[in-house]
Amino acid sequence: MKRLLPLAALFLALTPSAQADDMSLTVKPLLCITDNRNPVCEMSFLVVWETRERGYYCLFNDYGEAPVRCWNEERRGETTDERTVQESFGFWMTGTDTTARLAEVSVEVLRLDSDDRRRKRRTRHVWDIN
Amino acid sequence: MNIRRLTWLALCAVLASPSLAAEAPPEPKESNWRLGAALGYGNRSNPLVQSDDIPIIVDLDIAWFGEHWFFDNGDIGFTFADNAAITASAVARFNSDRVFFGRTDTRFIDIGLDGAQLPVAVSFKPPDRDYAIELGLEMLAGGAWGQLQLSAFHDVSGTHEGFEIYANYGYGWRRQRLYIEPSFGVSYKSADLNNYYWGITAEEAGIVAPPYEADAGFNWHTRVMIGYQLNKRWALSLVAEYERLNDEAAASPIVEEDDVLGWFAGLSYRFGR
Repeated sequence: MKRLLPLAALFLALTPSAQADDMSLTVKPLLCITDNRNPVCEMSFLVVWETRERGYYCLFNDYGEAPVRCWNEERRGETTDERTVQESFGFWMTGTDTTARLAEVSVEVLRLDSDDRRRKRRTRHVWDIN
Repeated sequence: MNIRRLTWLALCAVLASPSLAAEAPPEPKESNWRLGAALGYGNRSNPLVQSDDIPIIVDLDIAWFGEHWFFDNGDIGFTFADNAAITASAVARFNSDRVFFGRTDTRFIDIGLDGAQLPVAVSFKPPDRDYAIELGLEMLAGGAWGQLQLSAFHDVSGTHEGFEIYANYGYGWRRQRLYIEPSFGVSYKSADLNNYYWGITAEEAGIVAPPYEADAGFNWHTRVMIGYQLNKRWALSLVAEYERLNDEAAASPIVEEDDVLGWFAGLSYRFGR
């Protein structure tokens, strides 16, 4: 039984889920705000990733099947991604197995105007607390 | 079955199939509810004599918007016209002037109307007033030029039996997370409305306050709202508002200040985003 434990640890260390544990991915900014006058955001995303193991890693997003960028024999990388955004989407990192996501981050789009004018009507409720 | 018929059937099947869903997905439907809460600190001054300002610690935003009916923080409305130019609704609401009369104090006064010392101090409290239920029409218009709100309300509860005509214009600027919206407007208060809230009847009058009859007048107001969106649900909010009472109300013996200044700063949360 004692012999099996190191083997199990080695197996876990080699699987993608183990890599996912130490892959960090940060994206800035994470929020795009749209309204009737500005229906899209022109954004420049700074993407930074870091992991313990050197290896082959790729950055993907929901905008395409192909990776945004790949790095070979690296354990840290950063890139910028210029986009016109109007819907929430995600960035994620993969290793050699591009179907296994090691880390992912969502960019949220918040639409603050409504087509319903009544939602902009002015009430005095904020002052009417009695 | 010949080829032409098969082709026709295949075309019908394609047109009727869920492949139509391959078009761009429709935007998610906006929730009927708008629920929010703001926690912070604010204050609204009270123009009445012997009164306390109105502190604002928590502000709740509870609204529901259906195709025709809506509820918006106490207002109930029915929208009967909604097109590219305007949205028109019939709205029932409570009059907002009553809010000041809920925070008045009783004090002993020993100076008479003529400024002379009274032999005995008499207790005085600004007279109480009731809430009025008002029914009216409201018209909203908006676009790249800003938002315009026009309304006319009449008392239907037999409280003041007067009416108010109101106009407000606002224009908002957004730079991503930051939003600034100044607005200003005017409201005409009829003599019946003004006199009910700000007048003093012969029965209410005494040594301290003489009878007073208020005529119609115009209030005007200006307001600025600044919001900073922290994330999808949390935002910092800062609101300041100045309202000048009409001269008829301001001249009332129970009115100490001719304006109302309000402000609120806090953290707001929007549910359901």
